[in-house]
Amino acid sequence: MGNEIRAQKIPAWVTPPRRGSAWSLFVEDHPVLVFTLPAVVVVFILMVFPVFYTVYMSLHSWFASSLTGPEFIGLQNFKRAFTQDERFRNAIWLTLYFTVLATALQLVLGVSLALLLNRPFRGKGFFRSIFLLPMVATPVAIALVWMMMYNPTLGVMNYLVGLVGLGPYTWVSDVHLVIPALAVVDTWEWTPLITLITLAGLATLPLEPYESALIDGATPAQMFWRITLPLLRPTIMVALLFRSIDCLKTFDIIYVMTAGGPGFASETLNVYTFQVGLFYFHIGYACSLLVILFALVLGVSLILIKVRRGSW
Amino acid sequence: MRILRTLLSLGLVFGLALASSAQAAQFNWQQFKGTQLRVLLNKHPWQAGIEPHLKDFEALTGIKLIAEVYPEDQFRAKTLVELTSGASSIDVFMTMPAQEGLKYMRAGWYQPVDEFLKDSSLTAPDYNWNDFLDKTRDAMVAEGKLIGPPIQVENVALMYRKDVFQKYNVKVPTTLDELEAAAKALNGKPMTDDGQPGFGIVNRGKRAAATSMFAGMLHAMGGTWLTPNREPAINSEEAIKAIDMWGRLLRLYGPPGSENNHWYEASSIFSQGKAAMYTDANSLWPVIEDPQKSKVVGKVGYALFPRGPKGQSGSTVAVWGLGMPKTSKNQKAAWLFMQWATNKDQVFKVQSEKGVLGCRDSVWKDPKGKAKVPGDLAESLAQGSKVGTPLWNPPVVAVAEVRDAVGAAIVTSIQGGDVRAAANKAAADMKRIMAETEKK
Repeated sequence: MGNEIRAQKIPAWVTPPRRGSAWSLFVEDHPVLVFTLPAVVVVFILMVFPVFYTVYMSLHSWFASSLTGPEFIGLQNFKRAFTQDERFRNAIWLTLYFTVLATALQLVLGVSLALLLNRPFRGKGFFRSIFLLPMVATPVAIALVWMMMYNPTLGVMNYLVGLVGLGPYTWVSDVHLVIPALAVVDTWEWTPLITLITLAGLATLPLEPYESALIDGATPAQMFWRITLPLLRPTIMVALLFRSIDCLKTFDIIYVMTAGGPGFASETLNVYTFQVGLFYFHIGYACSLLVILFALVLGVSLILIKVRRGSW
Repeated sequence: MRILRTLLSLGLVFGLALASSAQAAQFNWQQFKGTQLRVLLNKHPWQAGIEPHLKDFEALTGIKLIAEVYPEDQFRAKTLVELTSGASSIDVFMTMPAQEGLKYMRAGWYQPVDEFLKDSSLTAPDYNWNDFLDKTRDAMVAEGKLIGPPIQVENVALMYRKDVFQKYNVKVPTTLDELEAAAKALNGKPMTDDGQPGFGIVNRGKRAAATSMFAGMLHAMGGTWLTPNREPAINSEEAIKAIDMWGRLLRLYGPPGSENNHWYEASSIFSQGKAAMYTDANSLWPVIEDPQKSKVVGKVGYALFPRGPKGQSGSTVAVWGLGMPKTSKNQKAAWLFMQWATNKDQVFKVQSEKGVLGCRDSVWKDPKGKAKVPGDLAESLAQGSKVGTPLWNPPVVAVAEVRDAVGAAIVTSIQGGDVRAAANKAAADMKRIMAETEKK
């Protein structure tokens, strides 16, 4: 009886009182905020903050082992890099040289390999897997093995080039050969990536253009240059973008194999920055070098993206 | 005169009496019973040698030890970070003064131990500081203050193939001129097991890595890193001669590609029997005498680094030692540990059990103390550590950066470039680096 009376008193449009702690009520009200917050915080602390802090530190002079704190010096670090620092200019040049050489080699080899693997033949799957193996190996291990192969006294490379009447070379100990020799290692490791991406691209090509080309009597070479390559362009550009960004910041194989040597003949920007920051402890200057590297990578990426969209 | 003699003998008697009475009064090892010490160790033969004995220290003193061991890179990073924070709880740590001494001392991170060493209530009468090989003591000093006792020493030494020198009747070099003559005479001579020709000499040539061994040649030539006024001296005539010679030897009588050789590559070539001589740290002897990997076991002689034109020593004295941070709250107990770990008994144990190259003269004179290492190595090490230079690294704050600058000149020399210009550039770089990192 009493229950009925109370039920009648409460209007139907009133929601029942909610139970639970304040926290769970808050979660119920703001699911989007609460569930994305951990990810946002992590990204902010680990990615956004360091980027801005690096930019901030790049305007300071700070020798980390002295007791004095960072000192604000404006753009002095950048001025020094571009006007006074020979090792920096050398590093920029070597970074670009290495990148162009390595990506060009990988691109030509990678695309050729993809075209080869795209034909039907026995054991295709097996060979595909074999060709992808270098990409799976640990870069430092790769570098150590290549180091042994390049050893002028004990290594196998001089024997191999000797078979065709060349050499002996000192490979990574030769000022002029060191960057090409390193580019070969990078090519060995990363050609499979370009092959992989290109194979994916090849799988999506439409058949119609080839049919009409056949009817028109085009040669295989013409079909390759006039149809396959233009259609593959967006795919190849993606591969090129990945590889050039990666090459610009290559660190592991160079550091393990030469540490920037002989002298400074393979000291790319990344390797130089590492030395300046973590061995010389010039934290401020190292940050400004990183900002420059960042700008370089960003610039190259933007150019490539524009090329890919065909707006150039 | 007679009075003087009487006085002297009186003084002597008095001194002896004092000494013996002090010895009689038992040194109190238990004075810091119950204290706890945090000891940071680098993974190293000495650490491996002393660790099994640490419980003896705990039993002797009643002090509890918490020993932490890290591989070298992590060890360095960890000490640096803890000391920089200014709130470290480390009481004792392994330290390499030539690498970090000046930096840490200037930053005020070391607690100098001069006072503890002088204090007879804190230092056992039989500790005998003067028993440490002369230059190993010097090597533990930064800015005139003693960092702590040395625990291990190594020198740049000449390692040579006894069989090859004998076969081709070449005199083992004791001077730099003889070194070059021997390298020239033996280069290209068959010297491997299967009669393959080898190189006259192999050395490090990799930029910064080469400088610590090149330091031997630099000092033998009569040069050094800095003038007394702390101006770069790496472009002095003597230094230029040294840079030129280091490069020339490798270019003419060494393996191709020396510019990228660190100790690992250089010692591989030597232990494969492909070189007649090798000048590097004598602490590498276990690598060269390793029957698993080396083909020259038992064939290698160990000698002092050759002397210079005026008889200057080319030995370098590189030590690892123990240090204590200023932030330690148990400094006196920490000194007891440093002292115990380097007293004669422990040095003898570690050296006779594991062949660690200790720093005590008396242990090197003891036949049992040197039983584990090759005889001529023991002899040359004790000798070199008395007369050599502790300056195997440039005595600056920014050691790594200056080593790179000097190393670039060495690489230029190996490649046959303009040594004088390279040395001048290295000196200019040194000046700039020092101005940047040593401003007060």
